[in-house]
Amino acid sequence: MNSTLTGTVAMYLAQVRAELSDLPPGELEDVLDDVSGHLTEVAGEFDSEPSVAALQDRLGTPRQYADELRTAAGYPPRAQRVADREAGRKSLLWGMIAATVGPFFVAVGIFAWGYGTTAFLGALGLGILFVAGFLGVRALKGNDPRIVLDTPYGERGAAAIRDLISQIPPNIRRELVAIGQPVWWVARGAIGGGGFFAIFGAGAVTVVGAVAGAAVSIWIGRKTQQNQRWLWYVVPLNVVAVVAIPAFLAAAYLGASFNFLAGNDRDYSGPSYGAENGLFLNGTAINNIYPFDAQGKQVEVRLYDENGNPIDLPTQDCAASFGADEPTTSNVFPQAVTKPDENGDITAQNCQETDKAPFVPPLAAPTAKPSGNSPTTPAPGSPGPKTPTPGVTLTVEPTR
Amino acid sequence: MDTSQLLKGVLDLAVLAVLRDADGYGYDVLRRLRAAGLEDVADASVYGTLRRLFAAGALTSYVQPSEEGPHRKYYGLNKTGLDLLQQSTKTWNHFADTMSVLLTKEAA
Repeated sequence: MNSTLTGTVAMYLAQVRAELSDLPPGELEDVLDDVSGHLTEVAGEFDSEPSVAALQDRLGTPRQYADELRTAAGYPPRAQRVADREAGRKSLLWGMIAATVGPFFVAVGIFAWGYGTTAFLGALGLGILFVAGFLGVRALKGNDPRIVLDTPYGERGAAAIRDLISQIPPNIRRELVAIGQPVWWVARGAIGGGGFFAIFGAGAVTVVGAVAGAAVSIWIGRKTQQNQRWLWYVVPLNVVAVVAIPAFLAAAYLGASFNFLAGNDRDYSGPSYGAENGLFLNGTAINNIYPFDAQGKQVEVRLYDENGNPIDLPTQDCAASFGADEPTTSNVFPQAVTKPDENGDITAQNCQETDKAPFVPPLAAPTAKPSGNSPTTPAPGSPGPKTPTPGVTLTVEPTR
Repeated sequence: MDTSQLLKGVLDLAVLAVLRDADGYGYDVLRRLRAAGLEDVADASVYGTLRRLFAAGALTSYVQPSEEGPHRKYYGLNKTGLDLLQQSTKTWNHFADTMSVLLTKEAA
């Protein structure tokens, strides 16, 4: 028995190959491997090299052989395959371009200053990735992803990679696959799922997304091992992952993704607690307001801005701290706040409130009066001259 | 009646049954089918069936060097294949019984 077929048998194999040439390259090689084994055995049935007629008598014409094989293997009829394949190649090409450009935008988005830019570029990048995925799936409708290998570039690349792989000893190669594959499944899933949610959600959502993504990825990986048809969907996703993972890792390494995630947190932590929302004075958050009247007596007021919109803050009383499901706001100041009980604790059972200022208002310093004229004239609009209350001094503007 | 027509419907089952006893390469499977009495089985359709069952996830495949010459690609049943075999066996038995009853009645 010869390992390489010769003469009429080799010719027969070549003709079968031509009949099946529309099959995806990977499948074609696999099935021809079987066929060449078969022909080797059949050739062994003859005492000497079989004649063309003898071979066809035994196996049918190459076309009949190929058709029989095609029907039994469930491959689509020939004509349809060729048309599908042309459309598929174009889709695949554009899909690959989109799959390269998409992560680029996502990466730029991560590095970009400002949450708005990040969100925009991130969404744009994901949009392009979505298109890539769509084109990839369309390209592979009825095709094996390995049609890429059918192009001159693909062929050369595959040969180079095969060369590299053949340099690794087989036992180490097996180890690498055994260890590397699960690691790869987890990595692509975690970064895919986490990255997706990082664009839209807060840190906690990202973690959940990463875990879910890893789980789904492992499931897909195991499915693919059992059924090669999953390759149609897995290969384009892998291409996306291969491009996206370095981008995410680079971003994480430079700490940019940290800022990026912090930006998201801000947006998702509710309207009144974040850095951009709420009431501020010179960058410091104001949590309560204690108004005092001219006599230094604490009063209750309602606050509005110049447009009549209430200036409100989340309530901080017992109901807000222990009872209410939804945060309520109020523009009545001072707001009541919880107060420690005699043990110094604040508990739901024994909650106490106070709206008394936790400070004594400082005395308004008397303004120096440069002119001796009418030293105690009250400010315009003040209700007449005042008797200063002990502890409080009026601020007096000089009138000119 | 032409048995090759009948074979088309049950070739999957026949191939699975042959592989239940031991893993085998294509030509070996073919030989075993013939030895079992299925002389009409077409060579190429057995190879096609093996490919389809493999693609459907019912078979495992591995390459083993042979003493006589080139390596051989062996196919074997996995869990899915075993399940498929059991399920198909049930279907076949039911079908064969039905046919037997029908034919016996006709004859009577």
